[in-house]
Amino acid sequence: MEHRTLAGDGLPALIDELIKKGMRVIAPTQRNGDLAFGQVSSSAEAVLDYFLCKRSAKEIVFPRTEAILGFDRSGGEVKVEPPSMQFPETVVVGARPCDAASLPILDHIFTWDCDDELFTRRREATTVIGLTCTTADNFCFCTSVGLSPDNTAGSDILLTQLEDGQFFVEVVTDKGEKLAAELGELFREGGDESARQKAGEKARALVTRSVDVSKAKGWLDDHFDDEMWESWMTCLGCGACTFVCPTCHCFDIVDEVQGLSGHRCKNWDACTFWHFTVHASGHNPRDVQYKRYRQRILHKFRYYKDRFGVTLCTGCGRCSRHCPVGIDIAEVLETAAGSAAS
Amino acid sequence: MSKGLQDIARELLEKGEVQVVVGWGAVKADPDRTRPILVTDPDEVGELVWNPRCVNNLAVYLTKAKSDVQALGKAAIVAKGCDVKAITGLIQEMQFSRDDLVIIGVACKGVVSDGSLWQGELTEENRDLKCRFCDVRTPRTYDHLVGEEVPPVDAEDDWKDVRELEEKTPRERWDYWQEQFERCIRCYACRQACPFCYCTRCIADKTLPRWIESGQHPRANLAWNIIRAMHLAGRCVECGECERVCPVGIPLNLLNRELAKEVAVEYGYRAGYDSEAPPPFATYREEDDQSFIR
Amino acid sequence: MTTADSQSSEQEQRREGAVGPEGWEPKIVAFVCNWCTYAGADLAGTSRLQYQPNVRIIKLPCTGRIDPVFIVRAYEGGADGVLVSGCHPGDCHYSSGNYHARRRFALFRKLMEFVGVDLDRLQFSWVSAAEGAKWVDVINDVTNRVRALGPFTEYQALSRWWKEVPDEQAIEQRA
Repeated sequence: MEHRTLAGDGLPALIDELIKKGMRVIAPTQRNGDLAFGQVSSSAEAVLDYFLCKRSAKEIVFPRTEAILGFDRSGGEVKVEPPSMQFPETVVVGARPCDAASLPILDHIFTWDCDDELFTRRREATTVIGLTCTTADNFCFCTSVGLSPDNTAGSDILLTQLEDGQFFVEVVTDKGEKLAAELGELFREGGDESARQKAGEKARALVTRSVDVSKAKGWLDDHFDDEMWESWMTCLGCGACTFVCPTCHCFDIVDEVQGLSGHRCKNWDACTFWHFTVHASGHNPRDVQYKRYRQRILHKFRYYKDRFGVTLCTGCGRCSRHCPVGIDIAEVLETAAGSAAS
Repeated sequence: MSKGLQDIARELLEKGEVQVVVGWGAVKADPDRTRPILVTDPDEVGELVWNPRCVNNLAVYLTKAKSDVQALGKAAIVAKGCDVKAITGLIQEMQFSRDDLVIIGVACKGVVSDGSLWQGELTEENRDLKCRFCDVRTPRTYDHLVGEEVPPVDAEDDWKDVRELEEKTPRERWDYWQEQFERCIRCYACRQACPFCYCTRCIADKTLPRWIESGQHPRANLAWNIIRAMHLAGRCVECGECERVCPVGIPLNLLNRELAKEVAVEYGYRAGYDSEAPPPFATYREEDDQSFIR
Repeated sequence: MTTADSQSSEQEQRREGAVGPEGWEPKIVAFVCNWCTYAGADLAGTSRLQYQPNVRIIKLPCTGRIDPVFIVRAYEGGADGVLVSGCHPGDCHYSSGNYHARRRFALFRKLMEFVGVDLDRLQFSWVSAAEGAKWVDVINDVTNRVRALGPFTEYQALSRWWKEVPDEQAIEQRA
């Protein structure tokens, strides 16, 4: 695909142009003091000079709650209303590479044994314009999971700001090409590849944390039972880590009924919750908290990798940042990798 | 400060007075931050720290909700004055007795929950809101005290935060809370971090019947946040952990404080000061206000 | 409890100055105790007293058994107003259930007020088994107050979350 260039002050124009074309634009936006991905009605609402949103971008394709069907038996017979499978053409502007990369990772599970249409239709309707990082903190470890702050995975178009302020436009997919064609006038043909190279190196240097994830996996493969897990007994059993995570995808299917009608809902769920595995008998195979936390780690770095060949983590570090008790996922992996070495 | 704490912890563990010390330790990747640690080996007391970034209320680890921590044996807990209020409340609710626990109190001038405000020291600007009217800077009960006694703040709670919202119109308050609750992702960090949310099975997890919907939509979020606050009425010691841990920044302590204010005004009671007092909702007076009942 | 004819003419009169949409009638859910208020409501019926038919009665053993979550569920289910009613102080069948309830609801109504609920939508009364006439007054008054407020659209709007209006609008715009 051809490279292009966007003027340094071209982002707002890009957003406004997309809106003018009738597309739904989702970008980081300030809502009651909280920066989150949300629909913007003009470029003025988008905040693109940012680090990371507290919540990940997965909500765009995998909402917190959605009705998979509606039902009503107030008329005597049961009426079932299927969900609308019509999703508006959506462009996500300014997703960081760790957010964008979660989408192809999630594709594996949502198209695995059946096609989760609510996910895949949304995904098809969504085009992602990624934005190379300009900041990082000590909880970032994307480079350890095969990604990087300038990685194109999951982005249809990736924008990287060059030293001179202009954006280097990498068109990554056909979807990106189609969008770039629609935005033709905003982009200039060609781009300074060596400046892009330099900007990429600069971005990658921001991530100083490095964990040997494959070594950690080797250890995880045969240490289901190990004292190491008990050292994370301080886990409180909330779902903050999984709910801010761009790749955690567990959900529960629940009927929400008011009177004689209601909805069958697909609601986010978390393996760190006590009731996630509790049986009808009352028995809970994951009887204490560290076993639930262990599940989260093993699912991300062992089971998913074994099943789909990819790690269920983009190294965004949100879980570590938001953990009420400061459990740092990279540190858990470091401990595992360290144990493997000794 | 940390040194004195470590010496006390070592002695308790070496003498076998306790089997575990629940304290704070530094987060390795971000040493400005601390987190709860469980020290069972006297040789590891060096990990214990005490500084204004020790924000967690560790009393949460003392209840049956954390049965694996209870299983470690008798505990010593490092506790600020506000944390001791929670411990007092738990004793009042008969979750354990005072003798089951060694309290290593820390004299405290305030904590800083917001890491972005932390510049290496505690200041008037970065100190948590909950510390403004603190009357327990020296814990009201302890077995060992780290640091010199600190006098309480010389000002009484003015409930300014609560009153500001009360003065708005019902519609404004409704819109305000809807905007807040819209963000709720139902991660239950507020519940899990709360020392008083020790129920074996929370009403929000009950499915037959399903009292509080598990969906993360406005109707369910309002129900959850109202009922959470209500279940803490007269019990909450306003440690603010719910609000601190909320990953989406909902001002949960404001709800708690509204109820705390009403309990203080109506029943002259504030939680966390007296383990012998009857809890306000386990008792009544015949002359309680009933002007709202026709 | 009321005849259909007298009811409809009364309703027409009440419609004047009403807030709600045409044909709207307030839905009131009354949580009442078994021993006093339910018997009081029954007395109103056997005495052939007439009152507005907007109330749905849910009988519980005691006001002490009325959990705030019931009230939340009532609003979720479309109630425009809620009444909680039980025995007068000193008359509780279980000695003190109503005293405990009184404290709990004193707080709960403050909490609901704090989150923006108009307290005319959440009301309380003591109605004894002998007070059929008071029950009638209470229900008429509660209904009138809720009628004056109109439907509880704020709460009912919360139930429309799945409609995903922005999506639909966006599709239309693009088309």
